[in-house]
Amino acid sequence: MSFEPKILGIACNWCTYTGADLAGTTRLQYPQNLRVVRVMCSSRINPSFIFRAFQLGADGVLVGGCHPGDCHYNTGNLYARRRLAVTKKILEFSGLESGRFRVEWISASEGNKFAEVVTEFTEQIKKLGPQIKFKISQ
Amino acid sequence: MVISFKQIEEKLKTEAKRLLGESQVSIVLAYGKGYDENHPMPYVARNPSDVDNIVFNEYCNYNLARYLVRYPAGTKIAVAVKAADSRAVIQLIQEEKVKREDLVLLGIPVYGMKNPKTHEIIDGKTTGGLYNPVLYDILLGDEVHGQAIQSPYDVLAAYESMDKEARFAFWKKEFDKCIRCYACRKACPMCYCDPCFIDQTKPKWGDKSPQSHGNLMYHLTRFHHLAGRCIDCGECSRACPVDIPLYLFHKKVAKACEEMFGQAAGMSIEDKPALVNFRVDDSDKFLE
Repeated sequence: MSFEPKILGIACNWCTYTGADLAGTTRLQYPQNLRVVRVMCSSRINPSFIFRAFQLGADGVLVGGCHPGDCHYNTGNLYARRRLAVTKKILEFSGLESGRFRVEWISASEGNKFAEVVTEFTEQIKKLGPQIKFKISQ
Repeated sequence: MVISFKQIEEKLKTEAKRLLGESQVSIVLAYGKGYDENHPMPYVARNPSDVDNIVFNEYCNYNLARYLVRYPAGTKIAVAVKAADSRAVIQLIQEEKVKREDLVLLGIPVYGMKNPKTHEIIDGKTTGGLYNPVLYDILLGDEVHGQAIQSPYDVLAAYESMDKEARFAFWKKEFDKCIRCYACRKACPMCYCDPCFIDQTKPKWGDKSPQSHGNLMYHLTRFHHLAGRCIDCGECSRACPVDIPLYLFHKKVAKACEEMFGQAAGMSIEDKPALVNFRVDDSDKFLE
């Protein structure tokens, strides 16, 4: 049986989640490995969510937000951009493959981009294989 | 030029006596006698007669900025600060935990501080390449010049040459030693959250017992909370009873923050901490 990764998607309500909706209503095909959690803004994401997801067995984490400058709350994703950049560095410094965490800006009208990003990211995680470094062993 | 620790001690006593005597401050945070020469302790002088207990020697490397947040707002405090400690004070002022006008900073220009455990000189690891306090009201002694200034990031070279598998193995080994005494948190001048995220039960972020997954969660999140705020005093690694080199990770994150956001922690009162600030033209490259 081929490896089917578990990917946590954290999507902003106003852009990426609506974009995912659009991808659905336009019947675009993308892999089913993504489990999406909706948050009100990408700056709502506590970095511990990401560490915790890896500990609980996620093979990859994809964060989606509005394009910088288009945030529903004006500045939320500008804070998130700095914060998530640090999260990425910390994961990298601790020795996790840096390809397992990805941040993408996807607007509500970019259903195509959403499908593309998910397809590409799933392929990438499949290549990296199961994530065992952070996972809590039972 | 040799720094005389005795001279600094005398000046510290004189200034402390004067400030307390004139009621300019209600407490003076300095160093006092410990159980032996090598282990001085933080000391709080409240009366002019307490001042005689103050000592200063090469093992006085505690960061006294740690104690500032323990006193109610508005308490007038004089505090002895070395180079890295003054950056901690600046960072606390930036974060509005203390007010500049409540503080009298007794700057200590010094090099040649030693680690009481190993007796090695710790300047390169802890002073962030600085010997003179960044901010002070009264300087005890002359500014130090002419010492070879090490880059604060020199000690990272060995760690940076590791690949990701070696890095993971390295940190796994180190974090597995952790006994979760939280001495790093207690010693850190920037760790003032109440309650700390790891003490919360709703949500429960990580296990509190010393097991590798809980340790990983605790340390990684702590590194994240100190990103752009760590002022490189090295107290966490010196306080650690099992000698986890936490300063390596903190320095690495500090270096990344400096490269990404162009700002080192605790260098100017005017700055805002890097992670509660943004620029519209921050690069998306950092996320790739």
